[in-house]
Amino acid sequence: MEVLELNNISKSYGRIQALRDLSFSVPEGSVFGVLGPNGSGKTTLLSIILDVLKADKGNFRWFGQPGSPDMRKHIGSLLETPNFYHYLSGINNLRVTQSISERGNAQDIEEVLIKVNLAERKKSRFSSYSLGMKQRLAIGAALMGNPRVLVLDEPTNGLDPVGIAEIRELIKELNKKGFTIIMASHLLDEVEKICTHVAILKKGELVTQGTVDEVLVDEDIIEISAADHADLERIMKTYPGTTMVKKEGRFYYLHFPKGAASTEKINAYCFEQGITLNHLLHKKKRLEARFFELTGN
Amino acid sequence: MKVLRTEWLKIKSYPAFWGIMIMTALSYPGINYIFWNIYKDLTQRKNQAGQIAKLLLGNPFAYPETYHTTAYFSSFFVFIPAIVVIMLVTNEYTYKTHRQNIIDGWSRDQFLMSKFFDVLLITLMVTVLYLSIAIVIGIIASPNSTVSMWSNSGYIGLFALQTFSHLSIAFLVGFVVRRSFIALGIFVFYYIIVENMIVGYSKYKLDDIGRFMPLEIADRMIPVPVFLGKMDEKAYKASLANIPQQILLTFVVIVVVWSICYFTNKKRDL
Repeated sequence: MEVLELNNISKSYGRIQALRDLSFSVPEGSVFGVLGPNGSGKTTLLSIILDVLKADKGNFRWFGQPGSPDMRKHIGSLLETPNFYHYLSGINNLRVTQSISERGNAQDIEEVLIKVNLAERKKSRFSSYSLGMKQRLAIGAALMGNPRVLVLDEPTNGLDPVGIAEIRELIKELNKKGFTIIMASHLLDEVEKICTHVAILKKGELVTQGTVDEVLVDEDIIEISAADHADLERIMKTYPGTTMVKKEGRFYYLHFPKGAASTEKINAYCFEQGITLNHLLHKKKRLEARFFELTGN
Repeated sequence: MKVLRTEWLKIKSYPAFWGIMIMTALSYPGINYIFWNIYKDLTQRKNQAGQIAKLLLGNPFAYPETYHTTAYFSSFFVFIPAIVVIMLVTNEYTYKTHRQNIIDGWSRDQFLMSKFFDVLLITLMVTVLYLSIAIVIGIIASPNSTVSMWSNSGYIGLFALQTFSHLSIAFLVGFVVRRSFIALGIFVFYYIIVENMIVGYSKYKLDDIGRFMPLEIADRMIPVPVFLGKMDEKAYKASLANIPQQILLTFVVIVVVWSICYFTNKKRDL
């Protein structure tokens, strides 16, 4: 069962195309990361599926149904910044959320406050909260009444390292219980750590999507160099198993699928071809590089 | 009912709301008290002028005129509760809670309905305040007369309608402008200066076309009190005769205002 299905969603703000023909689907029980640099359209996308913005074109379906207020009541969401009444206390803000969404009850409000570590400050005004506390209150509001689906926009934004770790643990734990979580992030590391699936956006277009293992697969890179560059290039072009060979500065870089590179074999091969390497290094490609490659930054 | 309950949760712990309502609760009786004192001052003089004044003015603060007189004076200060109305709607945009309310599961219509209830609630509070003033002043000012306490009480309804109409217009400004201080500025400037100028000017130069200005339409449901009307008896009678028409027009204003809000709300991005 698909929790969410997007079909050719497009949206523009005047002349700026924020999203272009976006289609993908979110399987039940996944932690689905929407990954992209700032300004790639992540928040616009989440705003559309939460009915805050209207798409110019295309449609989306939650559990096979078009979006509706009733559907939204069963989705816990945090969009962009924590939006609460500044003059109300944390607990009173959650009461408003509870009253509108009809998720949970008075008991749940207390439990949620404990879960996000705000029980002690529940009677303080929202305006007196730190950025991290505001973020935690927003996560608390999203969690209230245990919705089966969570939509979280940059959930660890503004949190300190401990807070970040806690929220990541919480998301994993909820996922184990069968919750589906759709999460926007510009942090590759975050997506890699907690997501099962990912869609990568660049300037409003879908670059790629799939399971995290498929999309963010690592590569092995071998860095080599020899006295005679021209010869080295010639023989390496025919070396089996490479995905890419390129020269940068004094070095040649040979790309291999993860785990397929062997420095010993390369060394032996070059030697057989009459070339002595003066440099041979096995590098693991960093995910950031992959991300930059995908998003073209 | 759920919508109303939610609004109450938002309002009941909002200090600015109660602060301004207290200001309202002080200013409405205040203005009536001032005019009542002026009246007493004029009529209690022992000299001939005092006696003539008494004869001419009658007793506008006693039953049954109290409903009319206090409604007229009280309505001067409707811009004070209007501040609350504007704050309650612009707050939603400042804090982006208008989005959150939708995300949490309200429809756009429900959001607008919640604000409609706010305006109704404040109208109700202001009307109860006015009614208490009218009754209290009426009891104190009335000689042991045989006049029924409730004759002329139709003004209660007119006052409520006028207040609702004015507050709806304030709401419209807040709803469209979305920024609290700009909206407050526009409304107060329009309420105190612009419309008064247009109405005043058109009275003599433009065939009184100012009577169709949005605030003036509702204002003319409650003509000047009897004693002021005595200055120009003919005009006063005409304004009394016009009340039914003004009531109708007021309903038109209210429908137009809320229709604009409804369609704006349907169309615009949050």
